[in-house]
Amino acid sequence: MKKGKLWTLAVLLIVSMVLAACSSGNGNGSEGETEGENAGESSGGSKTLVFGRGGDSVSLDPSRVTDGESMKVAANIFETLINFGEQDTTLQPGLAKEWEASEDGLTYTLQLEEGVKFHDGTDFNAEAVVKNFERWANGDADTFPYYQSMFGGFKGDEGHVIESVTADSDYTVVFQLKRPQAPFLKNLAMTMFGIGSPEAFEADSDGFGENPVGTGPFKFVEWKRNDSITIEKNEEYWKEGLPKLDRVVFRSIPDNGARLNALITGDIDLADGINPSDQATIGDDENLQLFERPSLNIGYLGLTVTREPFGDKLVRQAFNHAIDKQAIIDAFFEGAAEPAKNPIPPSIPAYNDSIEGYEYDPEKAKELLAEAGYPDGFEMELWAMPVPRPYMPDGAKVAEVIQKNLADIGVIAEIVSYEWATYLEKASKGEADAFLLGWTGDNGDADNFIYALLDGDNIGSNNYTYYDNAELHEILIQAQTEVDEDTRNELYAKAQEIIHDDAPWVPLAHSTPLLAGSADITGFKAHPTGSDILSNVDFN
Amino acid sequence: MSETVTQQIPREPEEKVAGPWREAWTGFRKSKAALFGAVIVLMFVLLAFAGPLIAPEGINEQDMSKRLMAPSAEHWFGTDDFGRDILSRVIHGARISLWVGFFSVIGSVIVGSLLGIIAGYYGRWVDTIISRLFDIMLAFPSILLAIAIVSVLGPSLQNALIAIAVINVPNFGRLIRSRVLSIKQDEYIMAAKGIGMKDTRILFSHILPNSMAPVIVQGTLAVATAILEAAALGFLGLGAQAPAPEWGKMLSDARNYLRDAPWTMIFPGLAIMLTVLGFNLMGDGLRDALDPKMKS
Repeated sequence: MKKGKLWTLAVLLIVSMVLAACSSGNGNGSEGETEGENAGESSGGSKTLVFGRGGDSVSLDPSRVTDGESMKVAANIFETLINFGEQDTTLQPGLAKEWEASEDGLTYTLQLEEGVKFHDGTDFNAEAVVKNFERWANGDADTFPYYQSMFGGFKGDEGHVIESVTADSDYTVVFQLKRPQAPFLKNLAMTMFGIGSPEAFEADSDGFGENPVGTGPFKFVEWKRNDSITIEKNEEYWKEGLPKLDRVVFRSIPDNGARLNALITGDIDLADGINPSDQATIGDDENLQLFERPSLNIGYLGLTVTREPFGDKLVRQAFNHAIDKQAIIDAFFEGAAEPAKNPIPPSIPAYNDSIEGYEYDPEKAKELLAEAGYPDGFEMELWAMPVPRPYMPDGAKVAEVIQKNLADIGVIAEIVSYEWATYLEKASKGEADAFLLGWTGDNGDADNFIYALLDGDNIGSNNYTYYDNAELHEILIQAQTEVDEDTRNELYAKAQEIIHDDAPWVPLAHSTPLLAGSADITGFKAHPTGSDILSNVDFN
Repeated sequence: MSETVTQQIPREPEEKVAGPWREAWTGFRKSKAALFGAVIVLMFVLLAFAGPLIAPEGINEQDMSKRLMAPSAEHWFGTDDFGRDILSRVIHGARISLWVGFFSVIGSVIVGSLLGIIAGYYGRWVDTIISRLFDIMLAFPSILLAIAIVSVLGPSLQNALIAIAVINVPNFGRLIRSRVLSIKQDEYIMAAKGIGMKDTRILFSHILPNSMAPVIVQGTLAVATAILEAAALGFLGLGAQAPAPEWGKMLSDARNYLRDAPWTMIFPGLAIMLTVLGFNLMGDGLRDALDPKMKS
């Protein structure tokens, strides 16, 4: 009997050892690869940067999407006619080395770089630029959504800003506008309007997002959905000595904690979306360094004006008085943010600093509620985003503070959350009473915040509060066509006053998103728009 | 003649009923572990009832200037990331966990017993249908089934309780069914049938009381599992909603602070562990005390 048992044990042991050997065998295969990459980094033979981030790209054809994760990769494959500054949104030469605007603001003439080639070997020239713009202008809102909101529509539409794009010579492009558009050059600098190879997208326009061909410092290699995107050095890159890396792998690791752990263990070299509470951990670790992304965002609580009682301005103002922004920032941004009073961040020149933010004052809030006819408060749903965003590291916790703030003025809020895509879809249909959300600017212009998020034109797309003010709309359209910077800023100052008074949002915070990387990374500059160009990045 | 018979009947059950219960209590008292478990359970029950009186603070008194403070004389269990007193929240949490534990088990016992009795007593196609239904439910990992139910009903404590009750129904149903199957062959049931007693009376006055012992044992153990499942659902955000101080939810909220403020996690974790341990020890003791085979 005992012998029998022993035998059984022995067999079990052997079986489990064989199984273990098999599984570790598989593991070794993949580990071997990453080890090889890491070893390459230090020896300087083949330099691979693994960039960990919260989500996968939607498409690598940037003109078709609006999400930041798609742009992050596309910014390294495609180049725009005009570039932003390294860490700001000033205009710098890109594929166009110089440009000129006519006095009436209707004609822009761009001189292009010569000798630039697309990754497929075809030449970059004025004809290519024209073909790119033709492609977008002949699209529709489903295919090129961002083109519509930046250039007012498509070919034949009333609001379409661009009259024509023509090639004057091989390397001269002329844009003829129907009406002046102040942020026109900034729009050209947005990653969405990176220039692709006409040969590639003419062959397969829909498949271009899977096989992107641009002029950028890196070439597309491989995309494993929901796992990683690999790009490699463009040996023919027109800027001397760039890029310095041989390969970049963008890895999706949704959980912030898991991503930081991957960084600490060396599985990745650079991590986006660092929790503010982990600053100290990273500071204490000699092998890591912290990067700050210059702030160009707003996190807010939207109040859907089509839902009772938020149609009442007094209720919305009461909410603005009720919420303790500083407490939220101290606790859940760990101070890596500043309290917001306007819908645009202070780094934008049009920011109206003369506006007095609503004081945190529960008593005042109660009075306003009573005046609006709700002395005993009411019940509502408070929507909290389920995922960490650059403008709000932890929506659920922020919601819990707001829930308590509202309870103090007699409003009973139930915190509700959905899966991220559902959350956005339902909120955009106006189904939320109040919802947490935010926005990161794509070109550093006030238009890209106020018009995109609060104008009646954008109800259903980015204006989730359904706030619609005719006076504001007129000012915003006027500001779009106004070319003089000072007059324009005055218009936006007025717009911010109207918004402040109508209070469709409770502006919460302008955060400073954090990234962390291994200590030997050099030349990495986090861009405020979230599209980081990695051509200068290197390992020590 | 007939008078003597009617006099004997009330006397007999008195002895029969009082006897086994007293015997069980004596058996239960002998096991130190079981007593220890009972003491823990009693303590948490007291906490649940007296919670608001004992707790130094309410459940949602946020104070950002006091966030993540280590345990001290002022805050015995420290404070969480909203500056709330963890001791107070753990005490209030006892009420939620025990409430879910007891009521979900009572729900599954009632539904499970009913289905089990019907299946066992009537047999044939009724039995087949009910038993296959139980098999289907048992084929799912229980927490998965609970998650599915909560996602249909929407996340809340109430729905978590319902989900936990539903997933435990087949356990009780099968237990009762097997008891009924053996009891219904006993002579006294045959006799009852023989004198023409109605089915409902046989079921509820004879079969049900005689099948209760294993249900009590299983029920006590199931409370422990139910508390764990409620905590798991709370951890996943599918159970109690903010700001309710549910232990599982407290654990999940504390996740980010594991490194810097471990007390936010330790105390709710300990509370879960202790209650579950208490119910398990008590359940084991009850099983030993109530199982007729263990006596001999």
